[in-house]
Amino acid sequence: MAATAKPIAPATHEEHAESRQHLMLDPRPRGEMNAMVMESMHTTSWKFWGIAFLLGIVVLVCLFLAWGYMISEGLGVAGVNRPAYWGIFLVNTVFWIGISHAGTFVSALLRVFKAEFRRPFTRAAELMTTFGLIQAGLSIFMHMGRVWLSYWLAPYPNARGLWPNFHSPLAWDFLAINTYLLASTMYLFLPLIPDLAMARDRSTGWRKVVYRVLALGFRGTEGEWAHLRTAMNIFAFAILPVMFSVHTIVAWDFAAASRPGWSSTIFGPYFVVGALHSGVAAVAMVLVVVRGTMKNMKYFIRAEHFDAIGKLMLVISMGWAYFFFNDYLVQWYGGDHWTHTLLAWHESGPLAWIWGLMLVCNVAVPWFLLWNRKIRSRPGWMFVIGLLINVGMWCERYVIIPISLTINRMPFTWQSYRPGIEIVLGIGTLAFFILLYMLASRLVPLVPVWEVQEGQMAHSLRKFGRKTVVSVSELE
Amino acid sequence: MSNPLEEVGHKWGMVIDQDLCTGCQACVTACAMENNIAFVGEQDAAYGRSLQWIRVERFWEGEFPEVKSTPFQPVLCQQCGQAPCEPVCPVYASVHSENQQINIQVYNRCVGTRYCANNCPYQARVFNWRDYREPGPLDNALNPDVTVRRRGIMEKCTFCVQRIVQGEDTARAEGRQMADGEVVPACAQACPTEAIVFGRLDDPDSLVSRLKRDGRAVQLLEELGTQPSVTYLKGGSSYGRNG
Amino acid sequence: MTEKLSRRDFLKLTAAGAGATAVLTGCGPASRYVVRSPYAEMPEYTYNGQSTFYATTCRECPAGCGIVVRTHQGRALKIEGNPSHPVNLGKTCSRGQAALQGLYNPDRVEAPQALAAGDRQEIDWDRAIRVVREALIGNRPEEIAFLLGPSPDHLYDLVSEIMRSLGGPAPLCYGTQALFEARATLVQATAQVLNRTALPFCDLGGSDVAFSFGANFLETWLSPLAYGRGFARMRRGQVGRRGFLVQFEPRLSQTGAAADEWIAVAPGTEGLVALALGRLVAEARGGLVPAAYREVDVATAAEASGVPEGTLTRLAGIFANAEHPLAVPGGAALGHVNGLEAARAVLTLNALAGNLGQPGGVFLTPVPNVHPDSRRGPDTLVEINALIGRMRSGQVKALFVHGINPAFELPAALGFTAALENVPQIISFASFPDETALLADYIFPDHTPLESWGYQKVRTGSDRAALSGAQPVVVPFHNTRATVDVLLAAIQAAGGDLAAGVPYSDEVDFLQQSLLTLVQEAGNIAAPEIRTFMTQFQQYGGWWAAEAGLDAPSTPAPLERPLRLIEPEFAGEGEFHLHVYPSPILGDGAGANRPWLQETPDPMTTVMWNTWVEINPETADELGLEDNDVVRVASDFGAIEAPVYRYPAIRRDTIAIPFGQGHTALGRYADGRGANPVALLGLKLTGAGDLAFAATRVRLEKTGRTSILARLESRIGVYGEGLE
Repeated sequence: MAATAKPIAPATHEEHAESRQHLMLDPRPRGEMNAMVMESMHTTSWKFWGIAFLLGIVVLVCLFLAWGYMISEGLGVAGVNRPAYWGIFLVNTVFWIGISHAGTFVSALLRVFKAEFRRPFTRAAELMTTFGLIQAGLSIFMHMGRVWLSYWLAPYPNARGLWPNFHSPLAWDFLAINTYLLASTMYLFLPLIPDLAMARDRSTGWRKVVYRVLALGFRGTEGEWAHLRTAMNIFAFAILPVMFSVHTIVAWDFAAASRPGWSSTIFGPYFVVGALHSGVAAVAMVLVVVRGTMKNMKYFIRAEHFDAIGKLMLVISMGWAYFFFNDYLVQWYGGDHWTHTLLAWHESGPLAWIWGLMLVCNVAVPWFLLWNRKIRSRPGWMFVIGLLINVGMWCERYVIIPISLTINRMPFTWQSYRPGIEIVLGIGTLAFFILLYMLASRLVPLVPVWEVQEGQMAHSLRKFGRKTVVSVSELE
Repeated sequence: MSNPLEEVGHKWGMVIDQDLCTGCQACVTACAMENNIAFVGEQDAAYGRSLQWIRVERFWEGEFPEVKSTPFQPVLCQQCGQAPCEPVCPVYASVHSENQQINIQVYNRCVGTRYCANNCPYQARVFNWRDYREPGPLDNALNPDVTVRRRGIMEKCTFCVQRIVQGEDTARAEGRQMADGEVVPACAQACPTEAIVFGRLDDPDSLVSRLKRDGRAVQLLEELGTQPSVTYLKGGSSYGRNG
Repeated sequence: MTEKLSRRDFLKLTAAGAGATAVLTGCGPASRYVVRSPYAEMPEYTYNGQSTFYATTCRECPAGCGIVVRTHQGRALKIEGNPSHPVNLGKTCSRGQAALQGLYNPDRVEAPQALAAGDRQEIDWDRAIRVVREALIGNRPEEIAFLLGPSPDHLYDLVSEIMRSLGGPAPLCYGTQALFEARATLVQATAQVLNRTALPFCDLGGSDVAFSFGANFLETWLSPLAYGRGFARMRRGQVGRRGFLVQFEPRLSQTGAAADEWIAVAPGTEGLVALALGRLVAEARGGLVPAAYREVDVATAAEASGVPEGTLTRLAGIFANAEHPLAVPGGAALGHVNGLEAARAVLTLNALAGNLGQPGGVFLTPVPNVHPDSRRGPDTLVEINALIGRMRSGQVKALFVHGINPAFELPAALGFTAALENVPQIISFASFPDETALLADYIFPDHTPLESWGYQKVRTGSDRAALSGAQPVVVPFHNTRATVDVLLAAIQAAGGDLAAGVPYSDEVDFLQQSLLTLVQEAGNIAAPEIRTFMTQFQQYGGWWAAEAGLDAPSTPAPLERPLRLIEPEFAGEGEFHLHVYPSPILGDGAGANRPWLQETPDPMTTVMWNTWVEINPETADELGLEDNDVVRVASDFGAIEAPVYRYPAIRRDTIAIPFGQGHTALGRYADGRGANPVALLGLKLTGAGDLAFAATRVRLEKTGRTSILARLESRIGVYGEGLE
């Protein structure tokens, strides 16, 4: 990869200006791009540290202190009750697992299918996977009555002479989430190696030490690249089934239960699409923030990327609506008394506004706005739409978990759920996610320089008659 | 190990006659006293967190003045043959007992995922949301045969398994079969109208087995195929009906 | 080894004798004199890991049910019914089950105390006994007053003897439990109709159609376990038929809920309905309508009671065609100014049915021959009012209070608390710091019932004469002393004629002397002399006649006298009738300090830990009242505030409030919880001189506040809230 992309000579001045809008057709020298990324990593302001400090306080108070209080008092300080045995903790778990899907999806799936627009933001998405999974894990541990014994879920030879119960979807969950966390961390790490090596070569002091260790002695030889490519290829293909399985298994936690509204065969793919819906929307939000707050990022992240993500969001929104309708229709058509009661509770119960908000945010907003290319290309709009979709998806999980849990087959026990300390802890996980992301943005290159470069090298403009078209050459 | 009595398992069951139940709550209090169930206080009780292992349900029918409450229905763990709570526990805290054919909650295995409670169609399980300790000398009355449960643990009706085991042990030690009615859980023992009858379903001549064959016998949510060990005899008949 | 074996055999024998569950140890009365000793020095029959069972009597209400208490290394663990006891045959109710929480209550009075200006100071028992002695001999006999509760009977008998010996007034016995049962009124009606001053026993178990006029016999009325058993027999105990129960009352009680039909009669017209039914039954049977019913106009009764004539005719047909019809009077139906007449009307219905002394009919329970001279009629409000009058005018110098909490239980309108200020010396024997005890000068705490000796005469509910026996099941937990022992010690210290007239060395001695009359009677105990008798008395948990048998009433032709009912009158102004009923769980309010009773849901509303006001939902809609809205309920005599419960089964002109909460003392679980509806009651009397507790009218005002009632039931699932 020592070569530098050659400047593309466009046919006309206008074409030149237009083609320069595309990152792939607007190459810069490798050294310059490296410097730009390094600069973005090193530039901090008092605002950055101020926000980081505030977030740190929030994490300390809302996450660790509040959790400690809850552990010592018991789950009574949360809003869970009978019959809403599961509450916002699991809403957040599912939500964060959904967020974490974006990384893998954007990175692995788009990589496998060679979607070129992915190149500058695969890293940003992969970081979300890992950090999102951390929040998901925290949330599920918060949910446990005796979290200090949570290691009993792990299969290991123990004094109790007992394996976990592999009949239980929760045992599947435990394994699936752990597998996913491990795999996604490795998948985050592999494409990071060349950039860590780049950072190593351009930094001093403790950073250099850290990067040297993390870069594993990567020097950029053809042999190393070949190995790395192979490994990334294997992982990109291998992690996709893991990704699909994780959220499917999360869905089985619900679908495998014998409850009205939950026992639905479509929950697996429905949850996967839902996860992508919130995940991709979250990627859009993160990109807006990264582009707006970090130096030199306007070069790497451009309107064309938002445009592409916007299209993706629209398609996924339609997919989600399809699954929602499918699930709803079959549940309703089934005619089961309890399911009908549950649907009535969703649609006209005291919390019907959440159900309505879910549909507005998940379907109406993307469908009405994302048709418009201008809206898709504007980061501000995309941030708002991404936020709304995430609100909508959070509502979806809230409808599925605590609101649905109110209705069961024993009407004498129906009780509404009123959140307690979950709200505080939820804010804590959100703050923790943002804090981790902020710190990571100054420690690892958020843009995979080599990947951008690779793309730029592969792109060229060719003339066919009067038309100038973009051609992409296969690297291998 | 060759003692044949050692290998004999019993299938315990219960029949509740709703025509006899007066809703007096004696079973509720008796159960709490026998099984060291903690009280939770007004606030938590108002929020669906009370810990009773048995509850008496009643609904309303009709409009004033023709309004009547439906026959009282005590609901406790149905000790399903195919219990939905069992497969979903990741740590085997909810397991089936081979000897008594009941569903056992192993408190010290429980990590508090509460999946079992979600999956229980009868909502018969209760969770220790806090450490509900009995203050002062009240703890003198705790039953030493029953574990006290700390926060974060699921619990539920056990058919007073401590009494069953004791009864079985006694019978075995004395080298005899158990008599029908020799073992009763606290609820059946207290029940003033004997609406709750307890005994062995594997013995076709026991009172429960005979009552279970009554024409009024139904099981809760039969359609789910949980094979409950508790059978209800429908109540609410009108004047002139026989039987 | 042989000794051990023989003891085991002995235990087995006693177990076989006393029934399947109760292993009863008895080692001669002397060894069971109560001595406080550390757990390390357990009695020799207490094995590690082995429970010991003691038979005794439940004193949570006066019914006198037999219980067997499981104890383990000196701790009482569980209360179970005594299977051989004729009242309850091994069954228990919620209140009996929770009695352990009285014994181990964290808020007991742990030692004798002197109270001065809000300060409670511990004193020793010697001084306490000196105080009692001074009070007994330092005042003229007529200046001493004993106010006792419904149990235990042995204390009542002893105090009667003491007062006879002193020449003072007989002790008064009262309690809201008895009030809400309308005991005094019922007893008087029985005397008039059935010719004996006693409580009637209605053989529900033998009847096939039973009409209950306000009697909430499955909750608190007279002997709920005995009636529960009867109900079960009526429903399912007879081959080929199922008993039919109709409940007449303005508010659907738990008993009404278990019944087959509920007739919402207007308050105060229950007797009228009974009369109308009597006439219709007589007409349905053909022949001459008896004199009793000749003046009855069915149309007027239907109009006044709000029960359509068609319904009355249909029910009368059912009653007339029944093989064993039965009519039960009780509860709020008798709590009106015409309550005595109503009770007579209902009892006469039984005479019309010809069931007096017949299976499925009305019987009288023989009372065991113990202290027959101390006739303990339930006293009426007239007598209580007289006592309060004497207190107010300073004629009472020393007031002893035991087993009743008058500052809480008596209607505020009587002015008991104010009258207390004119009594120089008030001695309370309460085990708990209740409202009255805190107003006393001294609290000399009695043992709680499970630490106590005693007996209770079974007045109704058993199928034979029975005396239920009580013995301590554990060593007293605190530095308390039996009131009987305190009184006897004071009398011995006083010496003189008094000591000569009350010649008992201590409580157990008094019991043995009292039981002497029973030794020769044919009963469950065959013993040649009192010590053996006493041992078996403890083992069995009482004495009861060998043969089942109740007395048939000898009726002086009740059908020959015309029955008339006076118009119901109501105290005070207001748009609603007030229906106060004793909480089936908390009873007379003494249960409010048992946390498990607080958390046991009310059978009908499933409310825990609070007081509520039941209002018909349509009425509530008119007033704009939602569930949990706090309303101010005001009568001419007082006002309370409580949240609303929209109760579907109550008349639109009536509101109902349970009694039992609203304590301002009694420890952490009772204090400051709910409201006490006796504050509202007016002072109308029944014909028998007892309070017409159902004859008060009240007004409702919104307060604008809400307070969430802890319910077990789901408002969504049961009332469809949010699921329109």
